Amino acid sequence: MAAVPVTCVRLTTSMHTNQIIGKPSTLKLVSFGRATSGLSRLSRFQISCAAKPETVTKVCEIVKTQLALSADSVVEPDSKFSALGADSLDTVEIVMTLEEEFGISVEEENSQNITTVQEAADLIEKLVEKKNATA
Amino acid sequence: MFSTSNLFSPIKLPSQMETHLWYSLPNEIKTESLLSQYVDLLSPLEKDHIFSISSHELQKSALIARALVRTTISRYQIGSQVSPRSLEFKKNAHGKPEVIWQNSDDWHPPPPRLHFNLSHTSSLIACGVTVDSPIGVDVEEKQRTMKNNILSFAKRYFSCEEVELLSAISDPEVQRQEFIKLWTLKEAYVKALGRGFSGAPFNTFTIRFSSMNPDSEDSGIMIVPLENPSDLTTNWQFAQLELGGSHYAAICRESNGGASMKVIVRKTIPLVEEQIISEIN
Repeated sequence: MAAVPVTCVRLTTSMHTNQIIGKPSTLKLVSFGRATSGLSRLSRFQISCAAKPETVTKVCEIVKTQLALSADSVVEPDSKFSALGADSLDTVEIVMTLEEEFGISVEEENSQNITTVQEAADLIEKLVEKKNATA
Repeated sequence: MFSTSNLFSPIKLPSQMETHLWYSLPNEIKTESLLSQYVDLLSPLEKDHIFSISSHELQKSALIARALVRTTISRYQIGSQVSPRSLEFKKNAHGKPEVIWQNSDDWHPPPPRLHFNLSHTSSLIACGVTVDSPIGVDVEEKQRTMKNNILSFAKRYFSCEEVELLSAISDPEVQRQEFIKLWTLKEAYVKALGRGFSGAPFNTFTIRFSSMNPDSEDSGIMIVPLENPSDLTTNWQFAQLELGGSHYAAICRESNGGASMKVIVRKTIPLVEEQIISEIN
């Protein structure tokens, strides 16, 4: 009987990380940390992140419309409404349009916290999440 | 090169009965050398803010607003150290700017308490000044259109009585004008209170117009608080004016024993010229 060389490969997975290792170009780290019962704990972990890009984009659109800025004018997340030319009535109009667009209600007390696009987007997402949680 | 002395003789302070209103039109202020003189008047923080504004027009307008406040207050020459550049400002708990008077504890008698309030549209900047009374000023362009439906906006933010008043106006153009004027009155009030829109939501008080009696000294405007009467005080009086043919303005200051507000309006190009436009009784 001829001896056939066999290469024995032992695949080991670490007990302490969950890693799916595929081709280098699709290397994906699914999660780090202690082995848990899955991702469900992580997905419920509250991380305060900045708002989704779509929300920021929508707020920029609404601001540009309210302030009659051209479509190619630069409105950045940190742009202060007042620096874009908004007066007090413009800011309240922006808030009202955001309320209608996103189906939320912004207490007047919070309007002083909405001075930039990013602040508006962050508050919107907080309010939308609260609304969905109680729905 | 602007020297620290004023180009004009000091202006007499407003009396207890008077309110002074100064305004500038950014479109009339164009020369770069004048604008850089304005930059020289600013604090480092103000300069940072101005230079962070990317639009040239808006940057100019913000610069003129700071120059207007600084030059206007120093026109009254309270104390020998007051130059436009030397003034320092602080904000109250709600963000309302106020002057910090240096060494005022050493003064005998105490210095007059000069109050000011600024209102800023892209086309007109106004600064109101009083002695011994908090003041709120708001200006809006007369031609300004609303992106939202006026009655929807009023229902969302104004009081029921005000919505009824606006709803009863059938001509849409008149309705729009009355809405803008009502906005300026409400904004002037909450700015005078020092609480602003977020500290005194507009649906917590009504601006009520009593029937106009030509013999009455009263402008006929009163505050009706709908809640928080300790915060929403009523001893205030109002004036409504049009500036430059292009803007509605509202001024709110403390009442003065029933006498109506006397307003002296001056149009100015800071550091260059000023002109008394009218004296309104």
